[in-house]
Amino acid sequence: MLQPGSAARCQCCNSVLVHRPKGGLDRTIALYLAALILLILANAFPFLTLDIQGREEITTILGASIGLYQSGMGELAVVVLITSVLGPAMLIACSLYVLLAVRYRLPLPAVRPVLAWISHLEPWGMLDVFMLGVLVSFVKLAGMATMHTGLSLYAFVGLILVTAAATAAFEPYLLWQRLGLPQRGRHAG
Amino acid sequence: MRAKELGLAGCHTCGLLLRLPETGHAHCPRCASPLHLRTPNSISTTWALLIAAIAMYLPANIFPVMAVTSLGNTQADTIMSGVIYFLKHGDWPLALIIFVASVLVPLLKMLALTYLLVSVQRRSPFRKHQRTKLYRITELVGRWSMVDVFVVALLVALVQVGQLATIEPGVGAIAFASVVILTMVAALRFDPRLIWDH
Repeated sequence: MLQPGSAARCQCCNSVLVHRPKGGLDRTIALYLAALILLILANAFPFLTLDIQGREEITTILGASIGLYQSGMGELAVVVLITSVLGPAMLIACSLYVLLAVRYRLPLPAVRPVLAWISHLEPWGMLDVFMLGVLVSFVKLAGMATMHTGLSLYAFVGLILVTAAATAAFEPYLLWQRLGLPQRGRHAG
Repeated sequence: MRAKELGLAGCHTCGLLLRLPETGHAHCPRCASPLHLRTPNSISTTWALLIAAIAMYLPANIFPVMAVTSLGNTQADTIMSGVIYFLKHGDWPLALIIFVASVLVPLLKMLALTYLLVSVQRRSPFRKHQRTKLYRITELVGRWSMVDVFVVALLVALVQVGQLATIEPGVGAIAFASVVILTMVAALRFDPRLIWDH
């Protein structure tokens, strides 16, 4: 049995196989709840306001995908939508769903398929990369217009930090261990 | 001692350790995923995705990623011209970030995957630890190349002022996004345990 805060490593290549986060499931649940609140804030308010000669352009995070779609780049809009909004949102929602079901022994449906999904979702949330893109765009437009940051930008920075902490405190193998083998005759979810 | 030598397979999804039956086909009793000793067809799938990425790398760098129209003049921007733009304005840290993320990282990533595939196919016993580390780095940094796609998306969304200036996305952006996605999936399909099998 692993002690909290320790990890088991591969004897061949020394990569981490399983780690047991400190603070158990409660800390992970707290971090994902914080991430959920920040995610809603980050998407509900304007991200950047651009001021070009008295005309104001307001953009939300979702606006980045909508702009591409309106310019006839539907494929690219889908890529940006998944990496900046859908991917992170689904990762947070799926993780919370499984964590709450395991922690409070709730008989929720489809816990196993959702948990199996989470590892496939993880590489496609790119909030940190999106933030770097915001900084670059900021500098590019600096000479052309005045920009104002919105409330959402601060929520977004918080979201990046909290999501990083939450994914580090999430160990799917321990959740699988607690779920155990499905019992015969009972609901397999 | 390795699990493979004992005929044991760790489930790729939930980590449950099981004895693989003679037929080699089984499903995990805990999470219902198919069981394998190694990712099936890892080398050929990785090659296919990698070759597709290499093919897309040329259009990604030749075609413009966006076109800026201001006061009737249209100027097309490729990835390299974006780097040069920042250099001319003295923003060399940003020029460096864009150059590393958009030009260097995809190129090095494709080289690294090619080397890993060739060395595994030749059953090379050379520097297994370092090759595993190379794989982990390749897997980790690939997503940062997406930054240029986000810059295009944000500029298109922000600058829609009509008479003054408009920014339209270009085909180069689609080609570039597909290079990033194809190399990411290629890295995910590569099974690093193959390095240690010989």
